[in-house]
Amino acid sequence: MIIVIDGINQHKFNDVLDEMFKLRARVFGDRLGWEVNIVDGRERDHFDDLHPAHVVSINDEGDVVGCMRLLQTTGPHMLSDVFHSILDDEPPIRSAQVWEATRFCVDTKKLGRGRGENSVSYVTSEVMIGSFEYAKTAGVLDSIAVIDPVMNRVLQRSGNAPYDYLGSAKPMGKVVAMAALMDCSDERISGIRDYAGIEHDVFLTDEQALERFEGAKANPSAANYDHQPLTQLEKYFVEQMNSATSKAEVDSVLKLIEALSDRFTPEQKTALLRTPRAFAHEA
Amino acid sequence: MKLIDLAAIDHEEKSAADIINAVCEELGFDYASYATFNPVKGDVQGYANYPDEWKIHYGSQGFHHFDPTLYQSVLSIAPVDWGRFNHDEKFHSVFRDAHDFGITPRGLTVPVRGPYGECGLLNVTRDCTDSEWEKLKKHVMGDLQMAAVQAHDTVMQSGLLAKALYLPALSTREKEILQWVADGKSQQDIGDILSISHRTVEVHMRSGREKLGALTTPQAIGRAIGLGLIAPG
Repeated sequence: MIIVIDGINQHKFNDVLDEMFKLRARVFGDRLGWEVNIVDGRERDHFDDLHPAHVVSINDEGDVVGCMRLLQTTGPHMLSDVFHSILDDEPPIRSAQVWEATRFCVDTKKLGRGRGENSVSYVTSEVMIGSFEYAKTAGVLDSIAVIDPVMNRVLQRSGNAPYDYLGSAKPMGKVVAMAALMDCSDERISGIRDYAGIEHDVFLTDEQALERFEGAKANPSAANYDHQPLTQLEKYFVEQMNSATSKAEVDSVLKLIEALSDRFTPEQKTALLRTPRAFAHEA
Repeated sequence: MKLIDLAAIDHEEKSAADIINAVCEELGFDYASYATFNPVKGDVQGYANYPDEWKIHYGSQGFHHFDPTLYQSVLSIAPVDWGRFNHDEKFHSVFRDAHDFGITPRGLTVPVRGPYGECGLLNVTRDCTDSEWEKLKKHVMGDLQMAAVQAHDTVMQSGLLAKALYLPALSTREKEILQWVADGKSQQDIGDILSISHRTVEVHMRSGREKLGALTTPQAIGRAIGLGLIAPG
């Protein structure tokens, strides 16, 4: 579920923001190798001091599992001040009805594969739904997101493909970064909702968000969930599923999983059958 | 820290006042105001079309030192419904008096950030039922966003220094698209010509219009030609 934290309510959410900055350090510093400023295991930059809106996903266990940062393109933002190389040194878009989304990430360590609630897929969709609905209510029509190719593929596979890109992809750490355009429209939001099977209101009130987050500390063992590395056989299935191009091919992979089901634990089997088409790149 | 009515001292600069009046007339609000903090002296300056008695009372009571519509709203990037404020002592001291002057606590503030991080605030109010208010918000939020950035840019551009800093920087794409519009092409045509989606064309046009401070595409074309950014079609 989603909580939007901005300058007005941030005093209530210092601990949530702290977890978010730690998540960002793991993703952008460790995994993607961007040149970000990490202090005490937390990634923060000066845009965080400009009262951006943080769209934060907190799961049932009370963990911060995904986030995105929104800034107005009328004021200082990353494409104008930091990522201008992506725009081939052209001036950035400036419009009250376009917001910039940066630092978009999900916790691939805590989240599993498949499409269930604790999956990368689900949380990615949830953060996108939260940010698009928040933007739409604010009268915003489009967003420009700075993302890496892995995130780009995730978006393309989850009913949420960017409709265009500005400038060109530029090397950034271990990957490249690109500026993707997405409309904050009902069509896009319902597309993501359909894909993820999310029908409910994704927003928490401040009180609900705090309760969810505090609940986690009372029961720390649940928060330490970490999914096991894939076995060779699991990897094989994930690859097969990923390269399947027709319903028949998908069905035959599912049949094969069924036939070899004595080789897995029941949990592994469930995870495989729910299948990880969209996240097969993790394999 | 002073409260300055820009309309009273700057006779050349009427257009921000015009914008807030237009917001009321065209979008259906009772009152509107625009305010910004002077970065040098910290004064609150702006325009309001509230009744004069309320403006005088507001200043004499020093509400601009703590009015939550100013100090809370600058902390958000999205429009802030006044219903979101804590109903604390500050809120009550402003809105109890506002009520006596016939001004409703039903309102919202659209915060605008400028290129240097400075913030402008467009406030609007309307005395109506919950359902009318929700409907109105949904209907006009995009227009309010545009009006807010216009009012802010108009005020910021009124100084000479600001004028120099705010010269519109149009990208090659924005200029290219405006040039095709000047040449009589439709959005769909331009998308086809440049092999980009018509939605992308629209985004660049919107950005170009706002950078030029234009309400309509024809007005943007006029200004772009005037500034020598594109050639007459």
